[in-house]
Amino acid sequence: MPAMPSSDNLPTTPVNRRDFLALATRGVLALNGLLGVGMLLRFLSHPPAPSSANEVDLGPASNFPIGSQTVMAQANLVLLHTEAGFQALSLECPHLGCLLNPEPGGFSCPCHGSRFDSSGALLRGPASKNLKPLSIEQNHEGHLIVRY
Amino acid sequence: MRPSFFHHLHPPTIPARQARLRYTWGAGGFSVFLLLAVIFSGLLEVFFYVPTPEQAPLSIQSLTFLIPYGGFVRNLHYWSAQLLVLAAGLHLVRVIFTGAYAPPRRFNYLLGIGLFVALLLLDFTGYILRWDQDVQWALVTGTNLLKSIPGIGQWLYALVTGGDRLGAVTLIRFYGWHIFGLMLPAVIIGVWHLFRVRRDGGIAVPPPAQRQDAERINRTELVRREALAALFGAAGLVFLAAFFPAPLAAPIGEPDAAKQAALAPWFFLWVQQMLRWGDPFLFGVLIPVGWLALLALLPYFTPAPSAVELGRWFPPSGRAAQLIFSALAVTVLVFSLWAWLAAA
Amino acid sequence: MQRTRLVASILLLAAMAISIWRVETAPQPVPLAPTLTRQTEYCLTCHSELAEISPSHPIETFGCVICHGGERLALDADLAHSSLRGGRNPSDFSVVQESCGGEDCHSGSAAQARDHIPRVLRSIQATYAGAIANMRYTFGAQEDLSARMGIFAIQDPNPTSSSVPGLSAFDPSQETHPSLIAFSQNCLSCHLSSEPLPGKEYARLTGCAACHTPTAGTDLEQPLHRLTTAIPYTQCNTCHNRGNYELRSMHFQARSDQPTNRLDDYYQPIAQFVRCEWTLDCIDCHTRQEAMGDGHIYSSQKEAEYVRCYTCHGTLDELPLTRTISDPNDLALRLAFVNPQFDLQVGDTIIITDRGEPLWNTRRLPDGSYELLAKASGQRFTFRAVKGSACQQSAEQQESSYCHACHAVER
Repeated sequence: MPAMPSSDNLPTTPVNRRDFLALATRGVLALNGLLGVGMLLRFLSHPPAPSSANEVDLGPASNFPIGSQTVMAQANLVLLHTEAGFQALSLECPHLGCLLNPEPGGFSCPCHGSRFDSSGALLRGPASKNLKPLSIEQNHEGHLIVRY
Repeated sequence: MRPSFFHHLHPPTIPARQARLRYTWGAGGFSVFLLLAVIFSGLLEVFFYVPTPEQAPLSIQSLTFLIPYGGFVRNLHYWSAQLLVLAAGLHLVRVIFTGAYAPPRRFNYLLGIGLFVALLLLDFTGYILRWDQDVQWALVTGTNLLKSIPGIGQWLYALVTGGDRLGAVTLIRFYGWHIFGLMLPAVIIGVWHLFRVRRDGGIAVPPPAQRQDAERINRTELVRREALAALFGAAGLVFLAAFFPAPLAAPIGEPDAAKQAALAPWFFLWVQQMLRWGDPFLFGVLIPVGWLALLALLPYFTPAPSAVELGRWFPPSGRAAQLIFSALAVTVLVFSLWAWLAAA
Repeated sequence: MQRTRLVASILLLAAMAISIWRVETAPQPVPLAPTLTRQTEYCLTCHSELAEISPSHPIETFGCVICHGGERLALDADLAHSSLRGGRNPSDFSVVQESCGGEDCHSGSAAQARDHIPRVLRSIQATYAGAIANMRYTFGAQEDLSARMGIFAIQDPNPTSSSVPGLSAFDPSQETHPSLIAFSQNCLSCHLSSEPLPGKEYARLTGCAACHTPTAGTDLEQPLHRLTTAIPYTQCNTCHNRGNYELRSMHFQARSDQPTNRLDDYYQPIAQFVRCEWTLDCIDCHTRQEAMGDGHIYSSQKEAEYVRCYTCHGTLDELPLTRTISDPNDLALRLAFVNPQFDLQVGDTIIITDRGEPLWNTRRLPDGSYELLAKASGQRFTFRAVKGSACQQSAEQQESSYCHACHAVER
């Protein structure tokens, strides 16, 4: 960087006026770019609107006697009524979300071949988890309500 | 300094007069800048806009009010689009009043007119994408105008609206035209237009032998000036976007509190004014298309300014074209003002 | 050149900084997803200070948009309010069906007495049919006093033998008599669709809110976000007891006194009344069918108003009609629920009217007397039946004027 010749007694300036202006301009432009990128990131990372909790009415609990196992296609779940009470299991494969097919003795996934027994326990991978239980309760009219 | 890609887009040197602001107004250059701004902001809008009649106005509201900088992006898109029409219009004014439409630039002049029409249609389709109460009558009358064309009217209407009534298919077609069907030709013709500027010998100036000043500037200087203009332009656009929100109204079909006078988008106000006088085919199609044809054919039936007269404003041998264009432009301005005052 | 470039980039930086500042300092949107609509609305971003309209319309359940309309996502006041139903008052009759109606809301079944909107639209306060019929008859435009026209056209699909099947809209431009034209210009300010006369004493909204939103004595400017069934007499008095129409000039003559106490304020100076008539509020005795109609169209207020002194006090021969509440879904319990000052229970015995409407704010006490809760003021009163008292009024003569003869208050 060529330093301007200066008078003998004064300290020399390492940058001349022209270089300083160029440097300042670059700095301001870089700041502009940074701000723009920041705005862009804020714009693109806006969280999607929270989907409100979904409720499905499965009908009167009395429709499902003890020991019954009912696939509710409209809600993508299987409803089990055991001595321990009602249980709703999601029929979405815990692997990558395909809808399971009921088959004798359990459920199988048409996409990658995972299998589950009729209580939702994992029999064969690639899935690594049992079927997901859904929150279920009875309302004051005695209807079973599933939330997910 | 090694020339960059942007330097290579320019000739190594040009006559200094070609880059003089008071000669060109930089209107063509600003148009390129604004086109880039409008494409960039439009791309961002595509991430959030949902082109269905129920969702379109709501997704715009969500973009405008709920997404951080969504309103800013929308304002940028709006203002760069409006200013683009203005800049392209001023570019046209400059070309006419400096005689730059004359051969060998006649064909490029036609390309420019085509670009201008594409810009107007882009602006109009973008306006319709709002799908709110402010645009509904422009949509209804604009598409019904097509029906008034004898013979092919019904076919054109079905082509544009996608059916026998306005609805979801219409909106998706306007969306398709806006982001693709018009955008792509506009960009292609735009690049062609720029290429032809160089091919036709650069911005119109007298041939080297008859030039009074021999001064030339190199492309480093040219790019520097363009970058400076773009910086000022960007600052202006960002100011506009920060303080002047793009218009938006309640969705079509919701109750509207006060029925105000329905106003066409500003660049079609003059057509709206003529439509008050009667026959839609005559006033809404024939006259505007005739106006456009007259404008496009100006270089073909008016005397061309001689090469030595180029490079300055109002060459005397271009009087015929200048007068006809002035008459056309003043008519459009007066009609637009008339329509605007009538509504206000 | 170099300096200009620096200036330009600083200008751009300033513009960017302003844009960022404006976005980052804007109020954070406040979402609300009411359980009835499940659609997120952002009205509370600006309206967080507004009081909940009533305990029966909790905001978590209803939100704002289901009643008011408007743009639920817009944070720009003009846009957000541009599609409001009925402007600031969604209960105006031009929009009441969209705002307050619906089977689960206030235009539900007649059997469950949830059909408020169809009833009130046929009521005499909405149609003004009585006054219109009276004037048209007086000035020769129709031959009898039965109603033919209302403020708006309305039909009753199931008229009774004493009610009118339908009304056409009263159109002043079709009238020829100057008095009728003057009537239409000067005297149509007291029905439920009309804007009030100017002045605090007339201050009320239109539609349901004319009665259910207490505005009396205000200038109607401040926020009026309230709905109540405990309507004080002052709200009724924004139309009633304000003066008289002068038949010759067809002008409204406002009452000239400027009362400062309830006794003088309640009725016009010429009126005669007994103590309970001014210590209670109008709605403590007058029922919802009287005020809001019974679903049929009538020609006169006389056919709609039927509660009399004897409704509560009985006659020399008869005790007031009563009913013991046995059904937990009884209408009286539902009405009392909205005014929690009165703890009406299953097993209570309440007074009912000759048409079977419950006076849910009354209760027979063990000693044979009765108690009444004043709905608006919350005061409790006890009273006895006429039967067994020293009153000598014959059972046939039960117009209020007969009672006033002995019991009227001096003022």
